[in-house]
Amino acid sequence: MRRDFLVGQIPLVTLIVLGVVIAILTPRFLSPLNLSNVLVQAAVITVIAIGMTFVIIGGGFDLSVGSIVALSGCVCAMVMMEAGIAAGVAAGVAVGALVGLANGLIVTVLKVNPFITTLGTMVLVRGVVFLLTGSQQVPIDQPLPQPFIDFGIERFLGIHYLVWLPVALLFALSWVLARTPYGRSVYATGGNREAAYLSGIRVDRVVASTYVWCGGLAGLAGVMLASRLQSGQPTAGEFYELTAIAAVVLGGASLYGGEGKLYKSVIGVFIMVILGNGLNLLNVDSYWQRVAIGAVIILAAAADRLRAHRA
Amino acid sequence: MPATPVLAAEDLSKRFVAINALDHVNFELAAGEVHALVGENGAGKSTLIKVFGGIHRPDAGRVLVDGAEVELHSPADAYAKGIALIGQELRVVPALSVAENVMLGHLPTRPLVPGIAASAALRLDRARMRAAAGAALAQLNLTVDLDQRVDRLTFAERQSVAIARALSRNARVLVLDEPTAALEEREVHSLFAVIEALKAAGVAILYVSHRLDEIVAIADRCTVMRDGRVAADLARGAFSAAELARHMTGRDIEREHAHGAAAPGETLLEADLGGEVRLRAHEVVGLAGLLGSGTSELLRRLFGAAGGARLRVRGRALDTRHPAESIAAGIGMVPNERILGLVLDQTVRDNIVLPNLGRFGTWWRMDDAAAGRVVRELLVALDVRPPDPDAVVRRLSGGNQQKVILAKWLAARIEVLLLDEPTQGIDVAAKAQIHRLMREFAGRGGAVLFASSELDEVLGQSDAVLAMRRQAISARVARGAGLTEHAVREAITFHR
Repeated sequence: MRRDFLVGQIPLVTLIVLGVVIAILTPRFLSPLNLSNVLVQAAVITVIAIGMTFVIIGGGFDLSVGSIVALSGCVCAMVMMEAGIAAGVAAGVAVGALVGLANGLIVTVLKVNPFITTLGTMVLVRGVVFLLTGSQQVPIDQPLPQPFIDFGIERFLGIHYLVWLPVALLFALSWVLARTPYGRSVYATGGNREAAYLSGIRVDRVVASTYVWCGGLAGLAGVMLASRLQSGQPTAGEFYELTAIAAVVLGGASLYGGEGKLYKSVIGVFIMVILGNGLNLLNVDSYWQRVAIGAVIILAAAADRLRAHRA
Repeated sequence: MPATPVLAAEDLSKRFVAINALDHVNFELAAGEVHALVGENGAGKSTLIKVFGGIHRPDAGRVLVDGAEVELHSPADAYAKGIALIGQELRVVPALSVAENVMLGHLPTRPLVPGIAASAALRLDRARMRAAAGAALAQLNLTVDLDQRVDRLTFAERQSVAIARALSRNARVLVLDEPTAALEEREVHSLFAVIEALKAAGVAILYVSHRLDEIVAIADRCTVMRDGRVAADLARGAFSAAELARHMTGRDIEREHAHGAAAPGETLLEADLGGEVRLRAHEVVGLAGLLGSGTSELLRRLFGAAGGARLRVRGRALDTRHPAESIAAGIGMVPNERILGLVLDQTVRDNIVLPNLGRFGTWWRMDDAAAGRVVRELLVALDVRPPDPDAVVRRLSGGNQQKVILAKWLAARIEVLLLDEPTQGIDVAAKAQIHRLMREFAGRGGAVLFASSELDEVLGQSDAVLAMRRQAISARVARGAGLTEHAVREAITFHR
């Protein structure tokens, strides 16, 4: 029991060691400006990773989140210019949730493999974004409403609103997963789909719902990014899906489903973001950064396998 | 002086975390002998055969083959020493042919370039492969198309393929782990014929089974294990089923039989699925049928897990299309494989709560304290060991896992309990407990329908029997109204 607990803390220990090493190598890491940058960068990925954790616990996989970020950012900006801030934000989140619903239905009703399904929607949605925007940023000539832009800049208690949002989501959705009947059904479905079905869980609905969470949260991340970039960018969110999946796996969620915790995925996000940030500060060549990050992902997955073996 | 045993264990010990799985075990297996190994779940049988199979390494003690100490580091090592383990999950490759499966691991080759021996690894010698595979299968009296894909075969045929593979590699010790668990009676007889033939050919057979009557029928010698130790080592003639059960549990188990309990009450469930099904309160109904006769399908349909079914529950029509609907109407099902009933990596509590998510707390907050109380009570009542709601189900023994599945439904508000082979592969004591729980459930006014391919069990536990043959109900006989072994056997057997 105690060893299980210790093994479960490996991601946190990795994060702390990583932070300490980078702080020693480059004092700039701990400067308030840099730390606030790290937090804001992590904020957007965290929102995506939370949704991804839902899908992965439920036994699925979602590659389309990066494209959803771009779609929702652009749709949000377009609607906002016509119908105001609230409508824009709602449209951004809703369009993400809709893509998620489509993913969920394709996976459960048509029984297409999640990897292929979301690979398809990833490419398809990105195409739609370019068609919708004519591959131009949105809006082109006039700025987005000031309060929306302020949201991306201003702080509460010295910390960006953009950072408070995922903090609130983390608490609320951790409750949903751990303490509600719905959350239990997500874990059970991912852990053993047939057993969950024979226990009366509507497994198809549960699986589809995880994709809706993931799409909706990616939509929200797109809105947050639009606020920070002060525009909808059709090229936004590229490779976000990979970062988010890597973060969730680094946090110890099982790609076979049934296992994972939101706060651990957030630790995974910080490992990814701080690693990237530290390599930047150390002026490591960007190609070498990719090599390093790729290696870290494989190491994390290998460590996970090793852990599963021993248990 | 007796001949050197072909396989022996000397003072073998193996510890897992806190359990002595093997505690100074001594064991001998002679050539041409069928040596049975019995014991309750967790008694150490599997650990012992896994040591012989090179899967586990002992902490202390020696394994001897032909009197010489060997170290078995892997299944390949065991194979090389002539020890072959045939488990419940057969190691056959579904997409390969029968011949390829038999010869897997030592496929014959011939040079790709004639005359250059080094090119041999590149080309399969199909003719030799088929000949060798055919010879091995002939020893087992199995006539199947050598080129047929293995996933087209029945379980019994796949089992023969696995045994043939062992023979083709000159195995001298065959370890059979619960070989009859998934076989029909007819197939059991042909397996026994094969075992007799192998025995005559000098192969030593280590036979692990829960079915004590089989062991009495076939074993020359029987080792009984209890709590990691050898509790008895008996020669043929010195053991009966009752004697073995006594050694396994360390106490006498009376063979409990259902006796005409309370008169059946009102009808709880009716359906017409290839014959009439009617289950009444206070009644335990056995569902008899050979493998493939459709008993599992019938139960799944009643539970809404195999397409739609029209039922009448307490007289009210119910068109069930999903287990959730059946559960809401008061029907629960224990599936025929434990893996279908449990989320193995979750805790006992999570598993028991699963069909009852709506019952403990509200949609936004589970009442874990209330669930914990119910779960703890059930664990004690069902004698689950350890009675720990936070134990991970994967670490429990088979019998305890089966009790957890039952607990799921006892925690739910159900009136009709469907069980598919509820005692398959679990030990005698756990089996008796499951039977008792079924009767208690009926005693409290519930209706029980349980499928079993063991005729003894059906006859012993049922107030009435539904017999199935070729996907249809062929007879219904009640205790006191023609329920005899002969009647049930007639009803389940297919006559041309």
